[in-house]
Amino acid sequence: MVVKRSKAILAAILIAVSILLIVWKPTVLIYGLQAAALYAAIAIPMGLVLGIVHIVNLAHGEFMMLAAYTAYNACKAFGIDPLLAIVPTAVVTAIFGWVIFQLTIRRALKAPELNQLILTFGLAIAFTQTINLIFTSQTYKIPLDYVSASMTIGDLTFGIWSFVFVPVAIIFAYGLQYFLTKTITGKAALAVGQNPRGAAIVGIDVYRTYGLVFAIATALVGAMGALFLTKSAIFPIVGSPFTMKSFCLIAMAGIGNIPGILGASVLLGVAENFLRAFRGTRDWAEIVFFVLIIIVILGRSLKGRKS
Amino acid sequence: MKRNMSKLFSLIFGILAVALPFFAGDYPLQVGRNIMMYMALAITWDMLLRSGQVSFGIAGLFGLGAYASILGVIHGGMPSWVSIVFAAIFAGLVAFIIGFLILRLRAMYFSIVTLALGEIFRIIVQNLHEFTGGPEGIVMQGVIFGGNANRLYWLTLAGLGIALGGSYWFENSKVHFALTAIRNNEISAQSSGVNIFRWLLLAFVVTSAIQGLLGGIFVQSYGFATPDTVFTTDFMLLPIAMALLGGIYSTTGPIFGALLLGIVSEWLKLKIPYGHLVVYGIMIIIVILFMPRGLRQLLRQGLKTTNGRSA
Amino acid sequence: MKLATKNLTKRFLGLVAVNNVSFSMEEGEILGIIGPNGAGKTTFINLVSGIIMPSDGKIEFKGKDITSMPAHERARLGIARTYQLIHPLENLTLIQNIMVGSIFARGHNLKEARKRAEELCSELGLQNVERDTSHLTILEIKKMEIARALANEPEVLFLDELMAGLNADETKELIAMVQKLAKERKVAIGVVEHVMGVIRELTHRVIVMEAGEIIAEGKYEDVSKDPRVIEAYLGGAA
Repeated sequence: MVVKRSKAILAAILIAVSILLIVWKPTVLIYGLQAAALYAAIAIPMGLVLGIVHIVNLAHGEFMMLAAYTAYNACKAFGIDPLLAIVPTAVVTAIFGWVIFQLTIRRALKAPELNQLILTFGLAIAFTQTINLIFTSQTYKIPLDYVSASMTIGDLTFGIWSFVFVPVAIIFAYGLQYFLTKTITGKAALAVGQNPRGAAIVGIDVYRTYGLVFAIATALVGAMGALFLTKSAIFPIVGSPFTMKSFCLIAMAGIGNIPGILGASVLLGVAENFLRAFRGTRDWAEIVFFVLIIIVILGRSLKGRKS
Repeated sequence: MKRNMSKLFSLIFGILAVALPFFAGDYPLQVGRNIMMYMALAITWDMLLRSGQVSFGIAGLFGLGAYASILGVIHGGMPSWVSIVFAAIFAGLVAFIIGFLILRLRAMYFSIVTLALGEIFRIIVQNLHEFTGGPEGIVMQGVIFGGNANRLYWLTLAGLGIALGGSYWFENSKVHFALTAIRNNEISAQSSGVNIFRWLLLAFVVTSAIQGLLGGIFVQSYGFATPDTVFTTDFMLLPIAMALLGGIYSTTGPIFGALLLGIVSEWLKLKIPYGHLVVYGIMIIIVILFMPRGLRQLLRQGLKTTNGRSA
Repeated sequence: MKLATKNLTKRFLGLVAVNNVSFSMEEGEILGIIGPNGAGKTTFINLVSGIIMPSDGKIEFKGKDITSMPAHERARLGIARTYQLIHPLENLTLIQNIMVGSIFARGHNLKEARKRAEELCSELGLQNVERDTSHLTILEIKKMEIARALANEPEVLFLDELMAGLNADETKELIAMVQKLAKERKVAIGVVEHVMGVIRELTHRVIVMEAGEIIAEGKYEDVSKDPRVIEAYLGGAA
């Protein structure tokens, strides 16, 4: 059948490319996967909100940034390791996210999409600039030993700490899938996402569901903030590239396709690192997501015209 | 009667604006230039908003125009005037290409692409450092008009005039019908013969060209360009906040908002060096939630109740 | 032959909304399109007016193949339709709403479009045309919607459940108007209606749709006695 054939061809291409990379530039594959996992883990919560509440949260990356700053200050204040701070940060961020939702986003749900975009944009600016105000644009980092852990295979040495994002991304993806399809709350959320009016008619509290979903997404992104802190420096605008790359991944996977984000992230991560591997193209790595979004949009609009 | 009153107001205002250099010193003129720049950008943002599309790419196109202009002078040997026009054409062309590729999908796809524009252009400029001077930027030999404060003011005023003209055109011609129909009900618009893609592309290209023009004026006035000074959040954020506060979907709204916020901005910059932009972020949130049509709407409703007639 | 479709089909994923529909309309004819809810009537109009693209089949207008022509170009050719759920353009006044078709489908300048819109308004009995659209009566909204479509100066017009929600007098007024349109302007009119009295009085010919297919065609008197049609409306063996 046609579908099976195109899937087989795709799989063959993927395997071929992977082998090529392993032989020629293995670091591209390694660092690509690590980056992919990081992007995916951050993109998945945004996809959840977009798929169920149908709102593009332009402040998504900023929630992660806020979580990272919270974790940083908690670690400095209590002398603990960021890994220990993951759960408390997630909880705090979730509560914060829920409050912001109730105060602002909830009010804009009935307004045109235009208003929602401007609102979340305003939130992003407010968050970024408040942090700028309090902490200035200085970068902060927590020096940790285990982050520089590395592995040597043959004459190749590479950092392995960032592989921690891989299980996180997979747990996020399949954990959410399980939640949405197997638990009652999750199934209710899915129903609300597909047909809010119908869901309300059968007795589901739509706004409560929205708030819950938003809190869950913020919790996940909050956990990522603490984890992110382990290996990266933080500064006020550290979150914004993630917002845009997350949207890129969601667009590539298709709205509502959470596991698809994993696949898309591999493409983005590997492509970026491929460009980084060569001196001439190193500085162009950050443009990849933009090119990918344009390709996706082009593809969608051409498909739309055909049908 | 009301029309004539507002025309009179505009005339008086216009005369005052043109005559300002004759009785104001250099610093007020500088502030005036800044406000006019933001005002013009706010107007162009609103012009596209009337079609229902939110652009976050003002800084991107503005910066692109700035670089086009300065590079036109340095590498292309253009006279300053020509480089400003070149900046407009270049920005318009880039907008045409991008718009052509992405305007078939709209709303959030368009908005997020424009959000990325500033960053993307900045990266491109930084990477082509032989051509553009990279992160350190590039400097011109001299500044237009030799830096004469009065002439710089009038130059910026001319740029504002072009933005005003564009907005007036958008409001008083077929464009108004097309953009409003698209914004209110795309399907109905299509059934009435509106080629949505074409009109959105037109709006995007025209507003981007004006933004590029303003970037050219900006860079010619200061004589140098760096990625950090032309692709800043300032140029993206303030125009949006101004248009929202003053009242969107109008020409007078952004004017009013720019005057108000422009003066506030100068004051804030002195008081709070880091993060004064937070005020604008919060302002955007409050306006969009509680008075989406801005002060203009509040004013109109106030007039309604005092007059007893509908405005 | 003004408008015709050949084997027109539209599939939405698993569902076939319009299945192999072939029909034609002549100028000056009023064609009724009836059928139970979900029969595909509105989808059919959406296909013909270009709001959605077919999965299969052809659409011809005055002999020309317009199957892949976008909606706004069809409007310019002379195809117009009204919408079941009418959402006026809320930031334009009543008359401005009507002017849109005149400007973009017919290419008139603002002044000319204004004049024609005013003529349409007086023909339809719409007054106070500078009002904004938020406080119109149902009859006024319907009249505005017809005027909006007529501003295209169409040769083919589809009216999608226009009479819904109107009382007997208002319905009579609109029926007379539609008849005048067909007779004087020779517009080919397709009328989707659930009110059978309207269909009986207004139409020259009727097609009956069910589950996306045409199950009967002919004069109203004949079609209303067709056992398949009766079964479609009343459901199968209970």
